[in-house]
Amino acid sequence: MNPFWDNIFHRSGYEQTLAYFLGSMPMFKMLDKRELAFLENIVHVRNYEADETIFNEGDIGSGMYSIRSGQVQIYNRSEQEPEIEQAILQPGDFFGEIALTASRPRCASARTTEPTVLVGLFRSDMLEAVRRHPAPSAKIMLGLNRVISDRLLQCSIQLEELKKQLIDSRKQQSDA
Amino acid sequence: MLSQNNMSRAQVAVIYLVLTTAIASGIAIYSSASTFTILLKTATAGLFLPLLISLIVSFLLDPVVYFFEGKKINRSLSIFIVYLLFFALMVLLLLVIGPPNWKGMMQALKADFPRYISSAIEYLSSLLVNAQEHFPFITNYDIAARLSSASQSFFGFILKETPRSAMRIGSLLLLVPLFSFFFLRDSRRIMRGLISLAPNRYFEMVLDIYANVSWQLAHFIRGRILEALIIGMVVWLGLSFTDIHYAPILGVVAGVSNLIPYIGPIVGMIPGLVIALVDLGVGGQFWWILCVYLLIAQIIIDNFILIPVLISKVSNLHPLWVILAIVMGGKLYGVLGMVIGVPIASIINIVIIAIRQHRKTFNPYQRYFTSRGKLL
Repeated sequence: MNPFWDNIFHRSGYEQTLAYFLGSMPMFKMLDKRELAFLENIVHVRNYEADETIFNEGDIGSGMYSIRSGQVQIYNRSEQEPEIEQAILQPGDFFGEIALTASRPRCASARTTEPTVLVGLFRSDMLEAVRRHPAPSAKIMLGLNRVISDRLLQCSIQLEELKKQLIDSRKQQSDA
Repeated sequence: MLSQNNMSRAQVAVIYLVLTTAIASGIAIYSSASTFTILLKTATAGLFLPLLISLIVSFLLDPVVYFFEGKKINRSLSIFIVYLLFFALMVLLLLVIGPPNWKGMMQALKADFPRYISSAIEYLSSLLVNAQEHFPFITNYDIAARLSSASQSFFGFILKETPRSAMRIGSLLLLVPLFSFFFLRDSRRIMRGLISLAPNRYFEMVLDIYANVSWQLAHFIRGRILEALIIGMVVWLGLSFTDIHYAPILGVVAGVSNLIPYIGPIVGMIPGLVIALVDLGVGGQFWWILCVYLLIAQIIIDNFILIPVLISKVSNLHPLWVILAIVMGGKLYGVLGMVIGVPIASIINIVIIAIRQHRKTFNPYQRYFTSRGKLL
């Protein structure tokens, strides 16, 4: 691709807006344009430098973040080794959604690895939105609920598999 | 520094230069800061009251505006509708009750006020004579004379200040609707802009604190104003069963003074009781008036109904802090300070509680510790 001759303007203006980005996320897929514009007004766009802490394990969380551009590392600290990396998140991914519904301590730490733009959706804004604009907020919460329950489903399937493996290995041990 | 000999001559020169510049600029800032604060003071002198009142008005009207906004009307238009409704209500009230007879009321008060004061003083001095029989050492302390001179100067002050305060009310009538329109329309945008200035690390905490403070403040202000309104109405209604003069004014006094906790209701009761004593004497009506003030308005309506329903949701301050806030507010801004001292103290309370909740974020040494407090 030749950056000079290529038509870099083929993307329409709307595709570069925050609303379009939000609409491309799995949890907000079922929102229409008006509701996306509403969502655009409750989220906060935050700019981070490279290697900046977003939150630490054990902090009181108050909302979720999604990555618009950049990269985020999720890690745990344990007492033996300083850090265990859990995941590297790319644009379009989201994290910290547990703190959106109730103020729970964060279960992992997050930091940026390169200059990053995050879009934060926080509990206090969400509560206000639920009070004042119930219909679009219900759709947002429903989408969020779907994503979280999908994760729960995946987790329980994996747990079942692990249980099966454990039982099998025990059987093999007792047979041997 | 030099004895350690690990600094070149150029570095020492730079340090000297930096130090002298720092000292010089410190002196310059100090000397200009005083004129700057004076400038700031004169520039913002008359703005405190209108801003405060429009903030309160916007807190009060906010739910109504949201009611109209829920009907798919845009925000500016719904604010205009609310203003129009408010204006229509005022005009309707004026049409129903008729324009208040300011001049007649003023003249009646002018005639009656000295009478009330003089009989109160008479009553007090008879009490004093009685007391002097038991405690002879208070003879040289002339309470009655002091009270009469104080009341005369107070009355003169009221007469002199009324036209001036009318002027101020005129300017308030112009400024308050304007300010509160912008507060109602843009407060969310303004506050979002301010919050977004917070550094990333403290952003969540600042957002939580803001949400908490604004929620509590809105409830507190709405609750307080509604409480004052209802108490004023109850006192007015209760007093209008008797033959007492000035029942509406006494109702307003009771309502306004009810904004100051603990001390206000007692102070607000005094004019009513004095007028009742002077005009009606000690009798059935006097006891009824005392009953209205104390039992019905304060104990039954306020303590058992209004405070649990309206204010108990807001985080409660210990009475000691409330009284301290009232005294300090009164020293700073007089009666106005007494009224706004308590909400400001509760804001400080909320902020401290929220910061304590988020203290992990504030801990500067946390990178050396695990989440359970052990050293890494």
